Amino acid sequence: MSATTEPLSAAESLLRRSDDLRRGLGEDVRDRIVSSLYGEAQRISQRAVHDEKARRWDFDQKIDRLVTSRLFGLPLMLLLLAAVFYLTILGANVPSQMLAEALFAVEDWGAGLFQTAGSPEWLTGLLWHGVYRGLAWVISVMLPPMAIFFPVFTILEDLGYLPRVAFNMDWLFRKAGAHGKQALTMAMGFGCNAAGVIATRVIDSPRERLIAILTNNFVPCNGRYPTLIMLAVIFVGAAFPPAWASVAAAATVVGVVMLGVGFTLLVSWGLTRTVLQGEASAFTLELPPYRRPSVLRILYTSLIDRTIFVLWRAILTAAPAGAVIWVLANVDAGGRSLAQHAIAFLDPLGHAIGLDGVVMLAYVIAIPANEIVVPTMMMCYLGAGMMTEITNYEDIRRLLVDQHGWTMLTAVNLMLFSLLHNPCATTILTIWKETRSGKWTALGTLLPLSMAFLVCFAVATLWRALAP
Amino acid sequence: MATGHDCETCPAHAQLAQMGISLGDADHLVALAGNPNTGKSSVFNALTGLRQHVGNWTGKTVARAEGGYRYAGKSYKLVDLPGSYSLLSASQDEEIARNFLLFGRPDCTIVVLDATALERNLNLALQVMEITDRVVLCVNLMDEARRKGLEVDVRSLSRDLGVPAVPTVARTKEGLPQLVQTVADVIAGEIVTKPLRVQPPPEVAQALDELTPLILEIAPGLPNARWVAMRLLDGDHEVRQALLRGELGLLAETQASPAERQSSLISIHGSQ
Amino acid sequence: MSQALPWLLALALLAALWAAPRYGLRDLWRESGQKRLRRRFEDALKHMLAWERRGKIATPESLAGALERSPRQVLALITRMESKGLVCSGSEGVRLTPEGERLALHVVRAHRLMERYLADEAGLPMSRLHQAAEKAEHELSPEGADRLDAHLGHPQRDPHGDPIPTSQGELPGVEGVTLTEWPVGRPARIVHIEDEPAVIFEQILAAGLKPGMTLWVVEKTPERLVVSGEEAEHRLALAVAANIQVAAAAPERLRASDAVRLSALPYGVRAEVLELDEECRGFSRRRLMDLGMTPGAVIEPALENTFGDPRAYRLRGTMIALRRQQAGQVWVRRLSGERKEAA
Repeated sequence: MSATTEPLSAAESLLRRSDDLRRGLGEDVRDRIVSSLYGEAQRISQRAVHDEKARRWDFDQKIDRLVTSRLFGLPLMLLLLAAVFYLTILGANVPSQMLAEALFAVEDWGAGLFQTAGSPEWLTGLLWHGVYRGLAWVISVMLPPMAIFFPVFTILEDLGYLPRVAFNMDWLFRKAGAHGKQALTMAMGFGCNAAGVIATRVIDSPRERLIAILTNNFVPCNGRYPTLIMLAVIFVGAAFPPAWASVAAAATVVGVVMLGVGFTLLVSWGLTRTVLQGEASAFTLELPPYRRPSVLRILYTSLIDRTIFVLWRAILTAAPAGAVIWVLANVDAGGRSLAQHAIAFLDPLGHAIGLDGVVMLAYVIAIPANEIVVPTMMMCYLGAGMMTEITNYEDIRRLLVDQHGWTMLTAVNLMLFSLLHNPCATTILTIWKETRSGKWTALGTLLPLSMAFLVCFAVATLWRALAP
Repeated sequence: MATGHDCETCPAHAQLAQMGISLGDADHLVALAGNPNTGKSSVFNALTGLRQHVGNWTGKTVARAEGGYRYAGKSYKLVDLPGSYSLLSASQDEEIARNFLLFGRPDCTIVVLDATALERNLNLALQVMEITDRVVLCVNLMDEARRKGLEVDVRSLSRDLGVPAVPTVARTKEGLPQLVQTVADVIAGEIVTKPLRVQPPPEVAQALDELTPLILEIAPGLPNARWVAMRLLDGDHEVRQALLRGELGLLAETQASPAERQSSLISIHGSQ
Repeated sequence: MSQALPWLLALALLAALWAAPRYGLRDLWRESGQKRLRRRFEDALKHMLAWERRGKIATPESLAGALERSPRQVLALITRMESKGLVCSGSEGVRLTPEGERLALHVVRAHRLMERYLADEAGLPMSRLHQAAEKAEHELSPEGADRLDAHLGHPQRDPHGDPIPTSQGELPGVEGVTLTEWPVGRPARIVHIEDEPAVIFEQILAAGLKPGMTLWVVEKTPERLVVSGEEAEHRLALAVAANIQVAAAAPERLRASDAVRLSALPYGVRAEVLELDEECRGFSRRRLMDLGMTPGAVIEPALENTFGDPRAYRLRGTMIALRRQQAGQVWVRRLSGERKEAA
């Protein structure tokens, strides 16, 4: 053999010698090295640390016992989640309306200004009723809820509550063949699914990390709450007395989120038994001590890092989308606008899954970002309707229910579709960046999409069969 | 400049470039290591403020944050290493931290320790101290320790470990000026560190004694030959490859001994 | 004319599908043919190495049996392998050339490393390891094997207890004797479990026996053995016991009588870590050690969640959550002076 006839370099012979020594020492060399390190660490820390009183763990432990307790652990988690949504819905309502009124007033004023200055009608329409209206919608619908949701959520994160969620939920994930830390990545997904996909880096096992990546889309991200919250308020909240409307709406959103968690577990389970076979790997999770959150940092990370970041992204996609919608709605072909052609084309598909052509078109246009689904729908409906201004939920309800025949089925299926459909373009790109695989990216895109169609179709068919 | 990073062509610079790090016009390179949940990112944020850049480690899906600060007329580049419990495991985070300390050769490494769990945190500190001499311990979360009734004797820690230790509360920036000062002193050679090297079990020590001179033959002057020997005993693939490619020898050539660095420093200070 | 167009298009598409470079069906077929041939070569080499290790020489008939091929096909295969200088056949049978032996050892090494990887890191159950590794062994290059070896921490044995050849092609022997020959009452450590035939292997696994386990032969009759494992007694047919090889248990491997698994330690009771089980391997073992789960460390179960799994333990001033299955791989001893549960 050639390897033995050539003289070995110094490095090679050194490696040979080290291999021999390693075999002589047995397989547990590393165990012994780590043990000696910890032995020293223990001696040094015993000399340096004096325990004044034995009250070390008292307070933290009491809280920990409560939030992870057999009886209260999970209900407390749900309650916290519901409280976050309740605060968001309740707090965002009034500022949203004020913002909408102000911003739409500017639209009229600006369009008027353009007209008096003699600008052609198409330019006024494109800029003010297209681009600007899209932006106004996104800002008024998204900014207030985000400005509340993200800081509240960051407080929970800073306190150290999220690892406890992973601890509470791990059993369920293990049964699905996944990792408890997937719960952490899902929590990040509430903010933004792309961030959630990046957060899966905390999972060491490649198999379980892929599961977490492929299913992250099933937690509704910030761009999808406006849809969920709007539907919850209009269709569920409105059925309750005003005092309870916000509570009922928040409970509905929590219900949808729980459904998303259910789908996550179900799909994880399915993946474990099909394309990603294997046993659940080791789970070691540190539960860090509770820390007092620092207010400045929370405001900084939640407002600058998250709110402004997500809003900016939404604005970047809303502006061109607004222009596209305006063009679609105002360019005629054969007596009908392009939008009407598209809506008519998509209508049978939409109808089959309990929705309509407008919703389908909105989801096609909203591939770059989910935030613009509601604005697109509104603009398409308004293009054909007579109302010019929508500033509160009651206006929207009248538009959807009275003018365009929405029913409870439409609302339920839109919530389901919003929860399950394909991830936005940013998330798809992130999946590709993280996995470097076209196969997994395609699966991560098509699996949720087909789930959305299947589930909505099943619900619509059943509903129609059972309803008189 | 006195950093050893001042030439575009020298090997360490190439190594840094490979890791996607450019020193820019900074005078010194400082690494920030620590366990997860030690408030390491608070220390990083408090030191760099808004002057930071977030990206990925080259070719890896591990986030990297780097930033800068100025102190006493010098500019420092601070690289936040991935939080890790150890430098021994094969996890990607730990490998990146390890490679940066070994091949990036920072001028100083700050190890952030959680004062409430020193025992666990010291494991990492001891491993960092095997790779590099210039280590400053940042004993963070002192307020939490006080709240839990723990009295941490930082001087005893510093004495036992042979490197300076600074008590801090990064949240309120308590102790950070001293930390920055200490880092500057260690880089300037005004504080000379003598890091504790843990005595391994006798049979391992014997094997190390045999391998270390062999490594020094290949890479004369390598400051962490004993650590390299330990990694070879553990069968570390990266270190083996580095040895075969002759990269360890290059490290040795450019790594000046502390005494030489000090004399070059004095001459530069003198010329200013 | 307009009717012929779709057909022409379809034909063109089919032609492209067939002839496209690399991903076309023709190239895929050729590539898979080469892979099949390589796989057959390597399986044949492995068989010959196994026989040579047992002091026998492989014959065309034994090869035909092992590869499940007809004698004619095997003869053709041997001719091709001879032309590549991997084997030389004589009147007594087929022998490996040094080159053939080197390749065979690589395949064995790849197989056993893959098994180790699949068991430790991918979490594949024992019963499926062999099948999966049979496929994967042909995909691993020598460099890939070296990297995997380092990644796994240079294991010396595969999950069945078989030695893994070194990168220089050294293959240490198995030191054990079969369980049927082991005396009654002396503690033994399982060093190897034969994974073929699969039926018997399944039975052994079902009894919960694994390499590294310590056991005692309690009773021996002409039909069966009664052995006592760590937790239960097993009755094994002699044919089953013959597939288990054991060696003398090292004295330090015998656990202290008061050792319990961490998963069985009651809530709030402090204990000292004795050791990590042999089953705790790979990344999981390294991570536990790095978190401070080293012999002598003091540990206490501190938190339980709704489902009772995982539990969180207080260890070296930190709180670490572990699944029950992992905690079961850590052996601890209650610290004296701690309150005892009513037995």
